[in-house]
This record gives sequence, C-alpha cells and structure tokens, in this order.
Amino acid sequence: MRIKKDMKLADVIQLNYMLIPVIHRFGINLGFGDKTVADVCRENEVDINFFLQLVNAYHDKDYFPKEELQTIPVKNIVNYLKMTHSSYLNDKLSEIEQKIISLQSEDTEDQKYILLIRNFFEGYKSELTEHIMHEENVVFPYVLAVEEIIKNQNFTERNREIFESFSIEKYEEGHNDVEEKLMDLKTIMIKYLTPPANSTLYHTIIQDLFKLEEDLNYHSRIEDKVLTPKVILMEKSICNLI
Amino acid sequence: MARSTILIADNSCMIRKGLRSILQNLENSEVIQLIDNKEDVCGIVHKRKPDILIINPDMLPGDCLDVKRELFNENKLSLILLSNRKNLKNDLKADGYINYMDGQNTILDMMQEILNKNNKSSFPNKNSETISSREKNILKHIALGLTNKEIADQLFISIHTVVTHRKNITQKLGIKSVSGLTVYAILHNLISMDEVK
Repeated sequence: MRIKKDMKLADVIQLNYMLIPVIHRFGINLGFGDKTVADVCRENEVDINFFLQLVNAYHDKDYFPKEELQTIPVKNIVNYLKMTHSSYLNDKLSEIEQKIISLQSEDTEDQKYILLIRNFFEGYKSELTEHIMHEENVVFPYVLAVEEIIKNQNFTERNREIFESFSIEKYEEGHNDVEEKLMDLKTIMIKYLTPPANSTLYHTIIQDLFKLEEDLNYHSRIEDKVLTPKVILMEKSICNLI
Repeated sequence: MARSTILIADNSCMIRKGLRSILQNLENSEVIQLIDNKEDVCGIVHKRKPDILIINPDMLPGDCLDVKRELFNENKLSLILLSNRKNLKNDLKADGYINYMDGQNTILDMMQEILNKNNKSSFPNKNSETISSREKNILKHIALGLTNKEIADQLFISIHTVVTHRKNITQKLGIKSVSGLTVYAILHNLISMDEVK
C-alpha cells in the first residue's frame, strides 16, 4: 500500500512499525494523535515530498520513485542518511554490544563461547563503522559536489577534483560485503551455539540482530533507489556540460 | 541449488497474474515470464528454456494427444496443464494438472512435488550434509588464516580444488566470512582459541 500525505501518521506506523526509528530521525516524536502525515510534516518543518518518498521506499521493496526523484535536494537525502548512520553507531550497535557483554558477565561455563561471539561482533562493528566512514568521507562529499556543480553549472577547482576522483558506480559495487558478517553471526548463534543459562537475553540479542539487519536493508534501499539513481542522472548531465 | 524457472501461458490476465502470485510461495523457483498469445508459445519456450511450463490447453499449438513430445522434444521440461475443464487428465497427458477451482494448497503441493522430482534427478541430495573430514581439514587451515594459495601448497592440491572445497563448506554450513568459519572451527574443536591470530 502506498503511503500518502492525507493518511494519519498513526495508521502509517500501524502499517509498518519499522518506520518508528525513521520518523524519529526526522525529529518527529510519537504522540501525534490523529494528525495526518502532511500536518506532522508541516509542524516539524519536514519536506513532505521527501518524507513520502523515503517512507514509501522503506515500506515497499518495489517502490521506485521516478519523476519525484528530480525534485529532492541531495543535501536532504545526505542529511537523513547521516542521521541514520549516527543512530547505528551511537545507539544500535552499542546496545547490542552491551547485551553481549552482560551475557558474558552472568555465566561462568559458557564464557569462552560468548567471548567468541563478542569478538566476532566487534569485528563486524568495526567493518560497518569503516563502511559508514567511507560513505561520510568519500561518497557524501562527492554527491554534494555533484549537486553544487549542477546548481552553478560550473566547476570550482575543488569540485572538479572531487568529481574526477570518484564515480557513483564504484559505490554501487562495494555494498554487499558488510551484510555477510551479520548473517554469519545470526547463523552461528542459531545453528551452532548452545544457548547460555540466560537464554532470554540470548534470544533478545538474536532478535536485535534480525532487526538491525532489516533496518540496514531499508537503509541501503534508500541509498540504492533514491540517492544513487539521482546521482547517476546528475553525472550524465555533468558529462554533457563538459 | 539452482532455481527452477517457470513459464505461465493463459489467455486471461487474471489467471496469469493470480497464479504467479500463488507460486511466489514456492521456494527455489521463479516465474520468469507470462505468455498471453498462442503464437508466441513455441518461440518463448525455445528461447528461455524453462524447467516448467504451465499452459492452458487452448494455448497449445494443435490439439494433439501427446503434446509434450510434439512441442519440446529436446528440452527437459515438465508440462502442467491449466484449465477449467474437468476431465482433462483423461484427454491429455502431462506431468501435472491445475484446475481453476483448485485451492492454493493443492496447487502448491502439486508444484512442490514436481520441483522435488526435477531436483532429485539433477542434484543427488547434496543438501544439509555434514562436512567431510577432507573439508574439515581445509576449514581448519582457513580458520588459521591461510590464503587459498598457502592451503594449496601445504596440502599438495591445486588452488582450484581449495576453492571448490571452500564453496562446498560455505554452502553446507551457511557461513560465508572467514571470521564466521573461524568461530565454527573453534566451536567444533578443529582449532583452539589460542591458535587464532
């Protein structure tokens, strides 16, 4: 079902609870009563068009905005993605890490195995962090430069340098590797480890990993379906400019 | 396991699309194309070489009794007839039958049976086996952090063989990354925790 601006935001959340962290990143808090999507966006000074595209891309795997794509400033998308990144780095990853640590402190016999899980998760965390840093330090500055070139119809020295050093194609290539480790961690915890005494906490961790994976998939869909196609279009028109 | 490919041919778009949406519940299979025109059937079947053709007899070229041989002599293809006619089984020979009145579970069970039969002939039950002692040995070396080349040299086998073993190990265990395989190796006492660097 397509999410539209005159729907009640509460109904939208009922439709897909994974959108709760998404609206939160826009600075929208729960408790909005019967207000529509448009109302809430206006009150929080969120661009309604961008909001709709984003939640629809989150919500529906097959959703692909075409014409609407042109109208959203890259800056908005990048800002949103940065907020998502910081929620991963500052909240989600450390939450899970904390849980693994408390699992470790509780039991004596299984400690060795839990240490394995912990080390594995640390490895995953640093890989994801590295991936995110690459996006923030290389990809985002690149797309912002591309947008600026389009806007001014002109190259500054610095923008030309950035433009020539990278292309969005390179970004598309290296997008899948990080997911592998997360999937492995789930598999190991489900198939090969005997759960420790505190199985409730152990189960929660597995569920958290599933949610994290789901959220990351949503996140990369925004990058792949909203940001990347837009940048490809802009790259083409810059090539014409040259 | 390779995914089985399916073609659906029927004049009605509701039937085509409805059936496709039902078949989405099947694992390891994919509806690759819908055909709405009788004239196109032969050409598309020859071009796309599906594993399974689900077709309304009205769309078959000619009203022949042994349609399968006639149409797709050289292809390995399962034929399923799709119709609202009741006594189709007596008139036409095929690998399976779907009646418009069949419930979703009936259809899925029948399809699953055909998929199983097809897979058995081409894949000798490779699924869900435990890893062999040879593979355990390779796994141990992977977990110790050796490259494919190093493993090949140490065990006197070709790199190609190492790669094949790795592929099989990954497939059997469901673990792709080196660090994941290492954890598995430690859990199963192939290596000790101190050996890992």
